[in-house]
Amino acid sequence: MSDAPRALTVTEAMGWAKRTLEGAPLRVIGEVSEATDRSGYKAVYFTLCDGSSVMSCLMWRDVFGASGVSLREGMLVEVTGTLTVYAPKGRMQFQVRTLQAAGEGALRMQVAALARRLEAEGLMRIERRRPLPEFPDRIALVTSPRGKAVHDVIRTLRRRYPIAELLIAGVAVEGAGAVGSIVDGLRAAGASRADVVILARGGGSYEDLMPFNDEAVARAVVACPVPVVTGIGHEPDTSIADMVADLRASTPTAAAEAVAPSADEVGGRLEAQRRLLARALSGSVRAAERRVAVLRSHAVFRDPKALTATAAQRLDVAASGLPRALPGRLSRDRVRLDAAAVRLTGSASRSLERFGAELRLAASRLEDLSPLGILARGYAVCYAEDGAVVRSSNTLDPGDRVLVRLHRGAAGCLVESVRNEGNGTDA
Amino acid sequence: MPETPVAPEEMRFSDALAELETIVSELESGQLELEDSIARYERGVALLRACQAQLAEAEQRVTMLMGELESDDTSDDA
Repeated sequence: MSDAPRALTVTEAMGWAKRTLEGAPLRVIGEVSEATDRSGYKAVYFTLCDGSSVMSCLMWRDVFGASGVSLREGMLVEVTGTLTVYAPKGRMQFQVRTLQAAGEGALRMQVAALARRLEAEGLMRIERRRPLPEFPDRIALVTSPRGKAVHDVIRTLRRRYPIAELLIAGVAVEGAGAVGSIVDGLRAAGASRADVVILARGGGSYEDLMPFNDEAVARAVVACPVPVVTGIGHEPDTSIADMVADLRASTPTAAAEAVAPSADEVGGRLEAQRRLLARALSGSVRAAERRVAVLRSHAVFRDPKALTATAAQRLDVAASGLPRALPGRLSRDRVRLDAAAVRLTGSASRSLERFGAELRLAASRLEDLSPLGILARGYAVCYAEDGAVVRSSNTLDPGDRVLVRLHRGAAGCLVESVRNEGNGTDA
Repeated sequence: MPETPVAPEEMRFSDALAELETIVSELESGQLELEDSIARYERGVALLRACQAQLAEAEQRVTMLMGELESDDTSDDA
């Protein structure tokens, strides 16, 4: 063994530490606290902690911008990079190369929480979903102008339904600006007088699809004035945008198929209309023919004289009877007059006798009918407050006041209960 | 019936098809006078021809609202 190693200078010690640490790349998960993101700085500074330790981090601004993550305190993130030493201050810090929200599990929980919130607002109700136009004249597509999705949609629409004009809003579907870009694209599509909007993106990892799980995108879908069909990624992931869309298709191609009828289908429908049109017209013509035929077979047209025959005959009969009618009528009236005179004299005396008898009978019945006579026998008359005679308990309600007229005098009464007929006989 | 009907060739496909379907149901109802039936029929035939022509001759129009489309190297057209 030689002598103890020579003492290092501070700079040498820090240099050694720096070399040793930087040789070991690390992947670290932790919770963000104290994030500083000032536009003047070359780097973004933040601190990660796990409850018992803290680690200062720095991330160069260009690398940070590309990560698309917006740091918030309390957020769980996963970083890769190396620990390093800042010798002038003797401080150790972690230099971050990559940054992402930690773990799909955390993301999924975040997304599920947003889904529950939007659902509670009623944005996922089935009644909210608008029907798609059957024959869209303009279809707007919001998707990346690069990659497979946009061309899948273009091709599918060209094959199925080239009649429709296709309006494309090319947007960023991943990275830092994706959410804002998709929202702008949806607004442009909504303002474009399109009949329906497709929001599409090819498949990707769960993280790749995060912009479609963003609340701002969800609200832009909801605010779109025309129906929105989503074709995002692949089964089985369902994004929030899918949940609030008017129709969810599993891929961009499926979305295009959903918004446009196929030209064959439309051709078949036109052919059906052609047949119906021809049949409907021949139906109208046949109906008109039938009406003409019925009229033609009518007696009036077969024998025009029939129209006047009856009247002509009646005229003839009347004309022939007229000369005979006058003298005959006069002698008949004389006989009737004589008979009437005889009956008049005879009936006068008989009538008087009968009237006398009837008068006597009526007088005796009049006595019986007098209301006073009836009251004397113990009956009473009940008057309502307006003076009308009460004939049925149906017109009374408990609490009504009535006047009961007796043989002698009267009593004001309060109705306690009412028992209508049909509810049982009186006790 | 509209006072001055739009020429079927100038109509949007969906409008032409909708009017055609209305005409067919009017004719089928049997409520029209014969003269009207024939006039409607003639209009229907014109609409039908225009729709069929649009369907046969349509060429897809693509307009960019935002961004620029990158060409598709997997295009299936010649």
